[in-house]
Amino acid sequence: MPLTAFLGIQYDFRWNILWTGEYGHWLLQGIWMTIRLSALSWLFASFLGILAGALRTVPFAPLRALAVFYVEFFRNVPLLVWLFFWYFGAPQMLPRVAQDWLNVHGPEFWSAVVGLSVYHGARMSEVIRAGIQSIPKTLLEASVATGLSVGQSYRLIIVPIALRLIVPPATNESLNLLKNSSLALTIGVAELTFMSRQIETYTAKAFEALTAGTLIYLVLCLGISATMAYVERQFRIPGLIARVGRAEH
Amino acid sequence: MRRTLSGVAVAAIVLGLAVAGWAAESTLEKINRTGVFTIGTRTASPPFGYINKQNELVGFSIDLAELVHRSLEKKLGKAIKLEKKESTPATRIPLLSSGTVDLIAGTMTDTRPRRDSVDFSMTFFVTGAQFLVKEGSPIRGIQDLAGKRVGAQQGSTNERAIRERVPQAQLVVFPDQAAGFTALVQGRVDTYTNDGIQLWGLKFKAPNPNEWKVVGDFYTYEPYGMAMRKNDSDFRAVVNNALMEAIEDGEYFKIYDKWFGPKTDTPYPLSDSAKSFLLMQVVPK
Repeated sequence: MPLTAFLGIQYDFRWNILWTGEYGHWLLQGIWMTIRLSALSWLFASFLGILAGALRTVPFAPLRALAVFYVEFFRNVPLLVWLFFWYFGAPQMLPRVAQDWLNVHGPEFWSAVVGLSVYHGARMSEVIRAGIQSIPKTLLEASVATGLSVGQSYRLIIVPIALRLIVPPATNESLNLLKNSSLALTIGVAELTFMSRQIETYTAKAFEALTAGTLIYLVLCLGISATMAYVERQFRIPGLIARVGRAEH
Repeated sequence: MRRTLSGVAVAAIVLGLAVAGWAAESTLEKINRTGVFTIGTRTASPPFGYINKQNELVGFSIDLAELVHRSLEKKLGKAIKLEKKESTPATRIPLLSSGTVDLIAGTMTDTRPRRDSVDFSMTFFVTGAQFLVKEGSPIRGIQDLAGKRVGAQQGSTNERAIRERVPQAQLVVFPDQAAGFTALVQGRVDTYTNDGIQLWGLKFKAPNPNEWKVVGDFYTYEPYGMAMRKNDSDFRAVVNNALMEAIEDGEYFKIYDKWFGPKTDTPYPLSDSAKSFLLMQVVPK
């Protein structure tokens, strides 16, 4: 092999292991697991994020405090620690019967979903709060002046604008979530990274397996970026970009 | 945490391969040039390689690697620094291929597919896979696994054996020994399988050793060898000679006694057949 000869490394590349026999099948299973894990966690994280983000702007102190507690508690501990907690620790608090039930219903997967959702929900809520808070108060006043109620103003004006504003940081968060899902292998979830390593241990072809994993993550992430960019274009608010360039703002 | 770091290391190696290679040099030349001999070993596999109460990385395999270190110093005629790094089943071959470590001295089973990627020293320990269960568990061996949740370590030969031979078992695979054992302690899995001797090590390191039982006949054959980069016979000769000399002059058996003798946490008497197998691997001077 010219590349290895050039680098002076004794290594014989065999890329075909990636699509032969059970290994290709494993890789597909890993991709599917990563997508399932990430998509489900993304849904829950978005829900938690919108809820906590909105709660932090409501005019009722106890609810705001609750949301602050949630965000600060969950985003300030490493995700890996949370995964261990949800898998090894949390089920211990359940009664024995519930634990037995959980043990036969894929505790690895659900612990990972909970861990990723709660952690990324906390981070997502900050993105959403930033979106809501970036809208000038005058806009709310103006919409109320047109005869809308405060609730209607939020639903029809404030939130739709906020959601459009947060597309770029929300894309970031979504990409992070997808990549962080690889940590689930530490609690035995057979996702993409797990499967690339599995192929590596069976074939001893580390570079091929890990390169495949790397490229697949790249493709998945580019897919998310492209989708979000499309969403951003479709729901663009005419005139908003121009506003950025205007001197008076 | 350690685990993720080695994951990162592997990724870094893969990326690094594309940009930073080094000129072809043999392992002996490399050690002579850098003055450092780096071994990859285990950090949670007592008594082969683990972190003891004094926070030192010690073990049977590490003591054997120190014999190799001594021979290297003799051969190169100068002081060489011995460096120990963590390697796991998933990271050890990439660590070797990339040149990050020079020798794997842990709990690596010599297998034919692995010989496609690395070279092995002579066999320095022989064991087989068994099961670790809680006292009172109905699991007695590989025949009782159907429908049970079986924990195993990713990249181990036993994980593969269970996957192929007992597809009815629900295999849960963990990246390291510590996570697998915690899963067993917390009841997430019904049993944890690994090489018998390692299970004894886990049992004795558990807070309450009497709660745990190692059960079942050996269902795999696990000859441990030290692994090194392929096609480097001069270095391999140094490793093998160091092991052979130690077996010949009895030092190996002293080290064996230190880690597996009756007074240790993991008493594991050397069987007569294992002993003669070791002696027969020693070729004449």
